[in-house]
Amino acid sequence: MTGVWALLGALAVAGAIGVLLKVREGRISRRDDSSTADLPAPVRELLAPGVTLVQLSTTFCAPCRHAKVVLRDLADRTEGLTHAELDITNLPDVAARLGVMRTPTTLALTADGTEVLRVGGVPKRDALLAALRPHLVPPSGG
Amino acid sequence: MPKDSPVDPRGPRFSAWMTTVVLAIVLLTGWWRLLAAQTVLFAMCAFISLKLNPWGHVYRFAIQPRLTPTTEREEAAPLRFAQGVGFVFALIGTLGYATGLTTLGMVATGLALVAALLNAALGLCLGCEAYLLLRRYAPALARPQ
Repeated sequence: MTGVWALLGALAVAGAIGVLLKVREGRISRRDDSSTADLPAPVRELLAPGVTLVQLSTTFCAPCRHAKVVLRDLADRTEGLTHAELDITNLPDVAARLGVMRTPTTLALTADGTEVLRVGGVPKRDALLAALRPHLVPPSGG
Repeated sequence: MPKDSPVDPRGPRFSAWMTTVVLAIVLLTGWWRLLAAQTVLFAMCAFISLKLNPWGHVYRFAIQPRLTPTTEREEAAPLRFAQGVGFVFALIGTLGYATGLTTLGMVATGLALVAALLNAALGLCLGCEAYLLLRRYAPALARPQ
């Protein structure tokens, strides 16, 4: 009988985690304490003019591939937006300094390294573009 | 260690459903020998090759021919890592049941079931997403293969 309860408990936990992760997937957050000084060197090297989407991935991360497809397509179609991927499988100190717990996590950084926002999980294209819009240089004539 | 080639992502999902069923049977019956067998299976997939997974063969011969072909491929590294995480929980569960620590056995099996079910139903790999966390708090477990 205990086994039945254990099974029901496990199913409930799985359901709760599933709902939580689906809700949080692609959620955009902003950090108030972001300082350009403590940006790790491997990240700083990726910065391009305009806004750079630095996608942090690991070898063991299947959704990172989906995130890459979304972000690369968005960057290709958006002026002033660059996509770069950083594999942090062997760079745990970079993850720790950035406060990143899961992959993919994507940081939107300006050319001077200021963090505009970050996205956990596979980003939702339209929501991300809308959030980035104020930070992008408006296209000429627009 | 041989490197596995990328796989049709629906294979591991099918395999995760089968794992969920096996773990549910273990929870319901407390049949620890079945959990021991599952532990060995996890170990073979994680440490030797995903090709040793019998559910993968069932998928290829019985299910894949009935589905529309897909060009989508999933890298083997996350899958093998997930099998490794499963191995740890299944091993703790087996030891728990076998030594009379039934509660420990149930908790470990239950956690493995949660992970397998999330993988099967939603394609979520908890161990893979939380790789960075695992690496920080359990460096030996998360050592890259």
